Amino acid sequence: MNEFRLNRRMFGMLVAGAAASSLLPSMARASGGLVAATFPGSWEDAYRSVLTPLVKAAGYDLTVAPALSQDQLTKVMASPGAPAFDTLLISPGQMAIAIENDLIVKIDPTRLKNWSKLAPAFQGEYGPTVTVQIDGIVYNPDVVPKPKGYRDLFENPAYAGKVSWTGFDSNTAVMAYTQIAQIFGTGPDDMDAVFKLFKDNADLRAGVTDTTNHQMALYQQGEIAVFMGSTNNVAHLKSLGLNAEFVQPETGSPASPVNIHLTKGSANVDAAYAYMDAALDAGAQATFEAPPTEMFPTNSDVELTPNISSVLTRDQVAGLAYPDWVSINKYRDEWTSTFIALIAS
Amino acid sequence: MLLLSVVFFATPLGLLLAFSFAGPTGVTLDNFAEFFGDPFNFKVLTNTMRLGFETVIGTTLLGIPIGLFYWHSGRRMRQVVVFLSLIPMLTSNVVRTFAWIVILSRQGPISQALLGLGLTGAPTSLLSTEFGLLLAMVQIDLPLIILPLVAILARTSRQLPEAAEVAGAGHWRILVTVLLPMMLPGLLAGWILVFASTSASYVTQAAIGGARNVYVPQLITRQVGVLFNWPLASAIAMVLLLSTGALLMALALISRHRRLVGHA
Repeated sequence: MNEFRLNRRMFGMLVAGAAASSLLPSMARASGGLVAATFPGSWEDAYRSVLTPLVKAAGYDLTVAPALSQDQLTKVMASPGAPAFDTLLISPGQMAIAIENDLIVKIDPTRLKNWSKLAPAFQGEYGPTVTVQIDGIVYNPDVVPKPKGYRDLFENPAYAGKVSWTGFDSNTAVMAYTQIAQIFGTGPDDMDAVFKLFKDNADLRAGVTDTTNHQMALYQQGEIAVFMGSTNNVAHLKSLGLNAEFVQPETGSPASPVNIHLTKGSANVDAAYAYMDAALDAGAQATFEAPPTEMFPTNSDVELTPNISSVLTRDQVAGLAYPDWVSINKYRDEWTSTFIALIAS
Repeated sequence: MLLLSVVFFATPLGLLLAFSFAGPTGVTLDNFAEFFGDPFNFKVLTNTMRLGFETVIGTTLLGIPIGLFYWHSGRRMRQVVVFLSLIPMLTSNVVRTFAWIVILSRQGPISQALLGLGLTGAPTSLLSTEFGLLLAMVQIDLPLIILPLVAILARTSRQLPEAAEVAGAGHWRILVTVLLPMMLPGLLAGWILVFASTSASYVTQAAIGGARNVYVPQLITRQVGVLFNWPLASAIAMVLLLSTGALLMALALISRHRRLVGHA
């Protein structure tokens, strides 16, 4: 077997190569392009393939950088004044944090051709909503009956040991727990009622995963049959050939819009507006509406597919529940710590 | 080399240290007080250390027989042992972790084997259990102990064990008094690598251990990426660094002890 030798010159070249690769995003921007953060996986693939040519046609190069919401914020916070991304793709839970930390700026809607195609609920002052996810219960109809709502998951023995929960790291989980607090407690902030449910039932504690990503993997393995998720989770599972259905709980489905935001200090504002406009483009959104992404199109010119309209119609948009994330974030630290300690006890 | 150490190690470490003492009004010990003020955090720290020790024991119990097999083998088989040890390292830790999710799940081979042998009455999942996590960590970190071990054994003379055999020593006596002392420098190096890797292995701990088994890297990740409390995250990271650092330092000192490592 050949010996592996690394001399000083090779080591120097490797270090220089690694350093150069870290400069790629900056180089992309220096050449008139922008770096847009996008969720990894199907989002990333769809945005790269559909939006890159549209942004190019507007005269800019687009670099799609995959990163989860928390990672996007962490990276931008780590380099104030020289953000790692020109635009962020996040939900209101993270948007509240971004505004509080002065990471994003208000946009000028007159610079977006497709702005008028958006319903008022999707015209945010900090950026447009490109899709809206509906959160609820994802279940496997081959294994469990269709749940009526969250109460069913706690009280019907058919779900015992088959439901997966997760902590307050997840926006989806936070929204579900506020609903569960309404059912079993005095209101959406009465999280003690939720903690009591978990404290009194060891089976529930055993079904808690560290992150929502792990729930998808466990669902694939048949390890769990129910979890708190979104319409996009169902679309993704179906695209993998798995049987999955979505249920809107009887308490209603909170909306989780996904917005594009302009980061403070972006050196490519013109390109960022071109990118936002491309993401709102009717043709692009019609493509995103098809499997495997199945995103609800916020551009009103796009006709809803039967799959999408079975979950949400345009008339229902105005009536969706939008949680108060500023209020939630005030308690989130305390809720997170209490829940972790409770589950590990 | 000094410049690289300063840029890539000392500077980030200095920043981490500075952050850990940062508070709204300036320098403070509040972040450390907050961490140690909660008994749960102390339990998480001891769990992390325990997982490191258990993984070291598990990898050692598997690594020594593999090392001995390597030592007794011919040139070609030795190449096979090194190759098979390296293969897992060529795949991402994330991939290996998700492979373990399949192995440890209710539908996985362990559960099915137990069921088939009649040892369990129903499919059993080892996910979200400390034992399942330990199995995964031992397999994932095994190359870290095998490689230093075979590096030592590759240049170890066969004359000493043969002399012991001629002098009438049995197989077990040769193992304990001759072979293990010869292996000790490699084992010590492996223990350092395995312990450091295990105690910082966020992906495997989170995916296999679930939310019921909490370790320090999960606390740090949560403070950095969910709660955005970087000073507290830095303080927790410093505590982990000092705890594991003290243990690794002790191992490093042992590895330099002339009598213990067979250089007397």
